[in-house]
Amino acid sequence: MKKIWFFFLFPVFSSVIFAQNTDDKKYLLTTKTNTTGISTISLLDPYLSPLTYNGLAISISEDARRFLSTENTRISTQSIFNLQAGILLNKALSSDLMYLAANYGLGLSYHVSPVKRLKLLVGGLWDIDFGLKDMERNVNNPVNLDMSTNLNLTALLRYAIPLRRKTLQLQLALQTPVLGYMFVPKSGASYYEMFDLGNLTDAFHFSSLHNKRGLNSAFSVYVPFNRSVWHFGAKANVLRYSANNLVFNRNEFSLLVGTSLDTFNFAGRKNKAPKNFISTQE
Amino acid sequence: MNEPVQQPNTYKGNFESLWQIIDTKYCYLDYKNINWDSIHTVYAIKVDTVKSTFPFFDLMGNMLNELKDGHVNLYSNFNRSRYWKWFEDYPTNFSSSLIKNNRYLGSNYLIAGGFKYAKINNGTIGYMYYEDFSDAFGDSNIAYIMNYFIGCKALIIDVRNNGGGSLDYSKQLASYFFKEETVTGYMRHKTGDGHADFSTPVEIKTPAHKTIQWQRPVAVLTNRMSYSATNDFVNRMKQAPNVTIVGDKTGGGGGLPLSSELPNGWLVRFSSSPMYDASLQNTEWGINPDVLDSIKVADQAKGIDTIIERAITLLK
Repeated sequence: MKKIWFFFLFPVFSSVIFAQNTDDKKYLLTTKTNTTGISTISLLDPYLSPLTYNGLAISISEDARRFLSTENTRISTQSIFNLQAGILLNKALSSDLMYLAANYGLGLSYHVSPVKRLKLLVGGLWDIDFGLKDMERNVNNPVNLDMSTNLNLTALLRYAIPLRRKTLQLQLALQTPVLGYMFVPKSGASYYEMFDLGNLTDAFHFSSLHNKRGLNSAFSVYVPFNRSVWHFGAKANVLRYSANNLVFNRNEFSLLVGTSLDTFNFAGRKNKAPKNFISTQE
Repeated sequence: MNEPVQQPNTYKGNFESLWQIIDTKYCYLDYKNINWDSIHTVYAIKVDTVKSTFPFFDLMGNMLNELKDGHVNLYSNFNRSRYWKWFEDYPTNFSSSLIKNNRYLGSNYLIAGGFKYAKINNGTIGYMYYEDFSDAFGDSNIAYIMNYFIGCKALIIDVRNNGGGSLDYSKQLASYFFKEETVTGYMRHKTGDGHADFSTPVEIKTPAHKTIQWQRPVAVLTNRMSYSATNDFVNRMKQAPNVTIVGDKTGGGGGLPLSSELPNGWLVRFSSSPMYDASLQNTEWGINPDVLDSIKVADQAKGIDTIIERAITLLK
């Protein structure tokens, strides 16, 4: 039978109205937060230039979270996806650098509620970074790639403030890389030698706190409106890593806006939307 | 994880920054017996007397010219320093009007993928001129050209006055003349700040093209302006069977250049990765031809390119 998929969407905080339903079976909702942002970036890539480049970038991101199972509402899974593009200039305005970055991650978080209305989520997130820095003016080193995979520690604090009919939420999210593997070319090695001649000696490095330190902190406010929940946030991301006697730096401050929705997928013409839901936002 | 200290954007700071980039990253200081510390001493005194930007740029350009390297340039918004003595101090050995004489390309020559080509010497020899290794070409271009020359006994590839371009095109063009993959050179790169800190040499291989191969005699024509990627091409072709290099010594340019920046935003290009021939000898100062020859004034007056004629004689 041909399946038809429906998407059932509603604001995250309205899910509490189903908590009184007598139907025993519960269904997991996925809370998706989609945001767009504008960032100021300060970037140092000594493979391309000893100068720091500054500029603006735009980004889109999706963060999806759901509990592991209906029986276990202590652990949630998370997936994130970010895309960013920007143009940066050196201080003398003599050269520009095009910056593209993509990041995908999967994580697990353990939920605890130390006091009423306060939730703490702690866990880990494994992610893959891919970035491209293009400085067209350079001759045989016009591009450098950011390629890394990291295991990050994550922590999230969420505080619910009840309003007359809905709930406002404040959230602080922190993420820091702990272990990983990264590509960092030697300063004298050209991409011609690395990729045409196949000499990738010392191009890949184990990373940990000794050579890669960063903190991604985001403060968010979830504001419920009639049929949607809006997300407003500010994010600061600092990252410093080092290999092959090169020290790389990226500092970023972003303003974010987006929406947050609980979603549920179900199939079949005759099936009706189930009524008991569990959301990670409850 | 401390970042290196950045010099201030002053004349002194930019001078120190430029001197340090060359001191730590330029690959031929030892090979050329250049005492870079002495050069610092000489130019640091001169920097103290500079009062404006243009003279400062000239001074920095002059300091870079001490390296005697056509791959070293300083780029500002108003000028580009350069060192051209590697060809200016030598006979030209090429005339674009001469190769367009009816005896050679004539006026009805064909053009494909950056190659100008025609049959010469009563149709017995194919002649192709390639003036820039930045000009893109593909297998189909070469297939058409070789098919056009199918009745010719030999081929002349003229890369005189070709100042270089892409190493990928150099490899690709050479691949049509090899029967099997061959190690034609080596490359190293700087691994530290010391003048002798280099990586282990890595092989540069020239593959044999799988479907397009010219296996009849070939002459490659060179002059002092055959530089950089063209130098690399000539180095590869030296190892190819049935190939003779004819003309003047190439200009060199055996160091793959990279770029860096000064605090004032000027860009400096410098040789970073030295390339070697198959015997691990540096190619920075050029490659000697198998048959040394030069254009004679008397021949030129008659519209004759002495080097092409020498190649024709060899190929007969």
